[in-house]
Amino acid sequence: MVKTLNVQTAKPAVQALYGRAIKPNMYLILTILGPLFVFAVFLLLAGANPLELYSTMIRSTFGDLYGFGEVVIKATPFILTALAAGLPAKAGMINVGGEGQLVIGALFATWVGVLYLNDVPGIIGLPLIFIAGALGGALWAGIAAVLKVKGRMNETITTLLLNYVAYFTVGYFVHGLLKDPESFNWPFSPELAEPLRLPTFSSVSRVHIGIFIAIALAVLVWFVIAKTRVGFRIRVVGGNILAAQRAGLNTGRTQFWVLVAAGSLAGIAGVIEITGIEGRLRATTGVNYGYLGFLASWMAWNHPLWLVGTAFVIGMISVAGNSLEISSGLPASSVQILMALVLFAILAVGRRKQA
Amino acid sequence: MVEAGKIHAILGENGAGKSTLMKMLYGVYTPDGGTILMEGQSVTMSPPSQARAHGISMVFQDFRLVPALTVLDNIALAAEGKGLFLKGKLLRKKIAEVSQRYQIEVNPDAFIWQLDMGQRQRVEILKVLVISSTRIVIFDEPTSVLTPHEVESFLRMADMLRTDGYGVLLITHKINEVMACADRVTVLRAGQITFSASREEGFDEETLVSTMMGSKILPVSNKESMDPSINKSTALQTHNITIANDHGQVILRNINLSLHKGEIVGVAGISGNGQRELAEVLFGLRVPLEGTISFNNKDVTGSPPRVFIEAGMAYVSEDPIKESVIPEFSILEHMVLAGLPMTPKGLGVDWKSIDSALINIEEVRTLGLAASDRRADTLSGGNVQRMVLSRAMLRNPSILVVSYPSRGLDIGTVRSIQNMLVALAAKGSAILLISEDLSELFDLSDRIVVLANQQLLGPYFPEETDPFSIGHTMLKGETA
Amino acid sequence: MILIDICTGGVRAGTSVLYASLGELIAERAGVINLGTEGSMLSGALGAFAVTAWTGNPWLGILAGGAGGALTALVHAFLVITRNANQLASGLTVMFFAMGVTAFLGRGFVSKQIHGFEPYPIPLLSDIPVLGPILFNHDVMTYFSFILVPLLWLLLFKSRWGIIVRATGEREEVVYAYGFSPKMIRYLAVIAGGCLAGIGGAQLSIAYTHTWVENMTAGKGIIAVALVIFASWRPSRAMLGAYLFGGAQALQIIVQQNGYPVSPFLLLMTPYVLTLIALYVVERRQRSQIPEGLSKVFTGSG
Repeated sequence: MVKTLNVQTAKPAVQALYGRAIKPNMYLILTILGPLFVFAVFLLLAGANPLELYSTMIRSTFGDLYGFGEVVIKATPFILTALAAGLPAKAGMINVGGEGQLVIGALFATWVGVLYLNDVPGIIGLPLIFIAGALGGALWAGIAAVLKVKGRMNETITTLLLNYVAYFTVGYFVHGLLKDPESFNWPFSPELAEPLRLPTFSSVSRVHIGIFIAIALAVLVWFVIAKTRVGFRIRVVGGNILAAQRAGLNTGRTQFWVLVAAGSLAGIAGVIEITGIEGRLRATTGVNYGYLGFLASWMAWNHPLWLVGTAFVIGMISVAGNSLEISSGLPASSVQILMALVLFAILAVGRRKQA
Repeated sequence: MVEAGKIHAILGENGAGKSTLMKMLYGVYTPDGGTILMEGQSVTMSPPSQARAHGISMVFQDFRLVPALTVLDNIALAAEGKGLFLKGKLLRKKIAEVSQRYQIEVNPDAFIWQLDMGQRQRVEILKVLVISSTRIVIFDEPTSVLTPHEVESFLRMADMLRTDGYGVLLITHKINEVMACADRVTVLRAGQITFSASREEGFDEETLVSTMMGSKILPVSNKESMDPSINKSTALQTHNITIANDHGQVILRNINLSLHKGEIVGVAGISGNGQRELAEVLFGLRVPLEGTISFNNKDVTGSPPRVFIEAGMAYVSEDPIKESVIPEFSILEHMVLAGLPMTPKGLGVDWKSIDSALINIEEVRTLGLAASDRRADTLSGGNVQRMVLSRAMLRNPSILVVSYPSRGLDIGTVRSIQNMLVALAAKGSAILLISEDLSELFDLSDRIVVLANQQLLGPYFPEETDPFSIGHTMLKGETA
Repeated sequence: MILIDICTGGVRAGTSVLYASLGELIAERAGVINLGTEGSMLSGALGAFAVTAWTGNPWLGILAGGAGGALTALVHAFLVITRNANQLASGLTVMFFAMGVTAFLGRGFVSKQIHGFEPYPIPLLSDIPVLGPILFNHDVMTYFSFILVPLLWLLLFKSRWGIIVRATGEREEVVYAYGFSPKMIRYLAVIAGGCLAGIGGAQLSIAYTHTWVENMTAGKGIIAVALVIFASWRPSRAMLGAYLFGGAQALQIIVQQNGYPVSPFLLLMTPYVLTLIALYVVERRQRSQIPEGLSKVFTGSG
C-alpha cells in the first residue's frame, strides 16, 4: 500500500540535469564516473598515474581474501556511524557527532573492559562491554540532544564542537587514568582480556563478527523507520515538524530519543573497533570514522539499507588509500578528495525529496 | 487613465480584477493583449524596474518591507542612489521633509517589526515619496489595515499628493472613500469595466453599488434548525487570555470567548489581527501570556496539542501546505495523523485496513478526496484543503477550529463543506469558523465575533446585523 | 604578569578565528551558513604558506590565502545557491574536500621554513602599560583585523551594499522586487566570506605559527561558525568571541609552559566547551535575531 518512493523521485532530478534521453542508471554511473575522472586529472597533475593507481586500488581490495577482509573491517564501523547520521536525518536532524560518539563509546567500553571485566567470560563480558559502549555514545549524543530540546541549539554545530571535546577527553584518559602502566609512556590503554575480543573466522583475515552486528543493526533501523509506528512518527517529525506538532506528537521527545539512539549506534561502532581490531584504546582510535560514516549516509540519501553499500565503497576507498600511501607515497588523506568529489556530485544532482 | 494631480479610484469587489490590473501597470504581470499608454506613448512596464523608471510606484497590500531592518534601511533599499555608502544624513533630511509635508510621522530608527500595520503603511508611502522620480502612485487597498482615524489622515494625505501634482490610483472596495476623494472612478466587476465617470460627469453611491455588485443579492441566512434535544453547554472557554505573536508582541488582549455545543461561532476580522494566534492558542500550539483556557470545564492552559486532540478537538490551520503537509507522505499516511486511528499490526501499522476504512467514510466521498496513495506534494492547493478538511471531519470532533475552509476550492465543494459544518454542529459539535468571507460567516454562524485592535468584539447575531456593519466593525474596531 | 600574557596570547591566537567569523558573518547575514569555513581557512593557510615560501613575500601570501579561501567557498556557493543542496551537508563536504586537498598538496611544505610576518611593536603605543603589549605588539595582520571590525560594521549597517545583503538574508523576495538578484548577492557574500576565512588561515600559517601542518586549523572554522551565532550576527561581538576563544587557547599554552600540574587535555578542550556554553547562554535569549533565511536552514526547511 505505502510505496517506497525511491525510484520515482530520483528521476526528475536526473532528467533536469542530463536531459530526458539518459536513463536513471546512466545518471548513477555518471555520478560515480565523474568524480573518478576529476580525481584522475588531479592525480595526473600530482604526477601519479591514475590508471595504475585505480588498478592497484582494486587489486588491493578485491585481489585477495585478505584485502577484501580489510574492506569489510573498515566498512563495519562506517555502517554504524552512517546509521548514526542517517537515523537522525529521518527525524530532520543533522548529526555530525558520530565521531565523538564513537570515541566516547570506545572509551566507556575500554574503561569497563579493562577495569571490571578482565576475569569475566566472554559470553557475559562482551554483552556488558557493548552495553557500556552504547551508553557512552548515547550519553555523548544526549548532551547535544538536551542542548537541542532544552536550549534550542542547532545539533549540527553542537555535535561538531562536542567532537573536539571528545577527542581531548579520550586523550586525557589514555594519557592518565587509563594509561597502560607497561606502555613505556606511550598513550594507550592496557589491552582487553582475550575473552573480550570479538571472534574471528579464519587465520587469513582479521575479519570478525562485527560486520554481522553492523548489518543487523542497519536492518533493524530500516525496519523501525519503514515499518513501525515509532518509525512513522519519526518520519513525520522529519517530514514537517509543524505538521507533527499539529498532529499532537511530542516532537522534542522524539528528537531527543532519536539522537540518543544514534549516539548509541556510533558508540557500538567504537566498541567494535576496540573489541574487534585494536584491542586497546588509543588517542587516535576511530579518528574520521564518524565523518566518513556521515558521508556514507548522505551518499545513500540516508537510507538505512543503501548506506551499507556506500559504507563498503568508502571502506574500499580507505583501504585503497592505505595502499596508495605505500605504493605511491600519496598521503592517505588524499582519498578524502575522492570521497568529497563523489559527494559533491551527489549534492549537485540535487536533493531527492527524501526517502 | 491617470492624470497628474488627480485621484482615480478603481472600485470593485474582491476578485473583480483590480489587483491584477494594477500589477500589470506596475510590471509584475504582462498583459495578454493591448497596450499601456503613457503621455501618448506605448510603454512596457515589465519588469517592475521598468515601471519604476517610468515613475510609477506602488504601495502594496502586503508591504514590501524587511521586518528585521529599520525604517531608514528599508527606505534606503528602495531609494535610488549611487555610491557605496548611504547618504544617511541626506536621506534622513529627505524623510523629514516628506514626513513633515504630508504629516507622516515615523521614527526612522525604529525596526519594522516594532510597527503596527498603519505605521508600516506610512513607511511604504514614505518610501515611494522619497524616490524623486515618482509621478504616479498606486495604492492597493490602502485603508484595509487602518483605523478610522488613520483612514482620515490617509485621505488627507492623498489629497495633498493630488495638490502636489502626483497622479494617484486608489484601489479599493469601499464606496465612501471613493465618494470622499476620487476625481474619477472606474468600477470593475468580474474583470470587466462596468462603469467609469469623472466627478464632473457625476457618480453617486447607488450607481456605484449597483455596478459593483451587479444583480447579486446579499446572502441570506438559511440555517438548519438545531436538534432541540442537544444540551448547549459550554464546550470551550477562554478567560481573559492575552496572546503574543511570533515577535513576542501582544496581538490579542483579555479575550473572553466561549463556544457552546451545537454552535458555530464565526470569527471575522482583517487578516493579521490575531486569527492564527487565537486558533493556535485554542489548540495548545501557543501558550497564552495570561489567562486560562478550559475545555468542558477543565483547565487545559499550557497543555500540549495532544491533550486537545485526545479530548476530541480538531484544527484546520490557515496554511495547511506549510503546517500540515508532509511532502513525501501519501494521503493515507496523513489520515492517521490526528485523524483515523492508527490500526496496529504487530509493531507496524495495518495500512490496508485503514485504507478500506477511509473509503467508507461519507465525508471523504463527499469531498472527493484524491486517491489515497497520492503523495501530498503532488496535490493541488484545493486537494490539500480537501485532505485536511476530511481528516478533521472524519473524527466527528466535539470541537472544531477551522480556518478559511473554502480557500482554493470551487463553489460546489465549498457548498458541501459548509453543509458538513452545519451538519456537524447539528450533531452537537462546537465549531469556531475563522473566515474572511463575510457571506460564508453569515450563512453558517450562530454568532459572529470580530477581531480588531487587539480585541474580540461582539458577539453579533447574523439576524440582527448585516455584512456592512460587521465590515465596519472590522475596520473601525468598535461598535458603530 | 600572567594575565597580560593571556590577553596578548588571546588576541594573537584569536585573530585567525576573528577573520573567519567576520567572513562567516557576511555569508550568514545573506542567508547562507558555511561550515566549509574550516576548509576555506585550511586552503588559505596552505595557499599563503606556499606562496610565501616560493616568493619570500608574505604580502603575496595574504593574497593567495584570500584567493584560496574564496575559491573553496565558491564550491559551497555553487552547491547551495545554484544546486539548492543542503547547506550543512554541503559545508561539511567542502570541509572534507579542503582537508584532503591541502593534505595532499601540502606534503612538501610540512618542514619548510618561511619568513612570514613577525610581531611589529607599534612605536609609542606598545609602550603603554598593559594595553601596549596586549594590543600593539602584534603582526600586521592582527592590526589589520582591528580595522576590519569597524569597517565591516560600516559596510553592513551603513552602506547600500550592507542593506541589500542583510535584506537578502531576511526577505529575498523584497530584494528581488527591487531588481537585485538574491542569488548573485549570496554568491558574492559567500565568496567574500571565504576570502576572509582564507586570510584568517593565512594569519595562522604565515603570521602566527610560521609553519604548515596538515589540518592545522583543528576546528577553528567550526568555532568561527559557532561564534557568529554567539555574536548574534554583529562584528564587534564576533571580535569578543574570537578573543575569548583565543584567550582560552593562550591559557593552555601558558599553563603548559609554566608547568602547572593541570592536564593539557582539559585545557585543550576548554575553548570548545567555552564556545558551547557561550552559545547556550546566548541562544536562550536571542533566537528572534536570527536572519529569517537562516532560520529556515536550522529548522530543516532550507
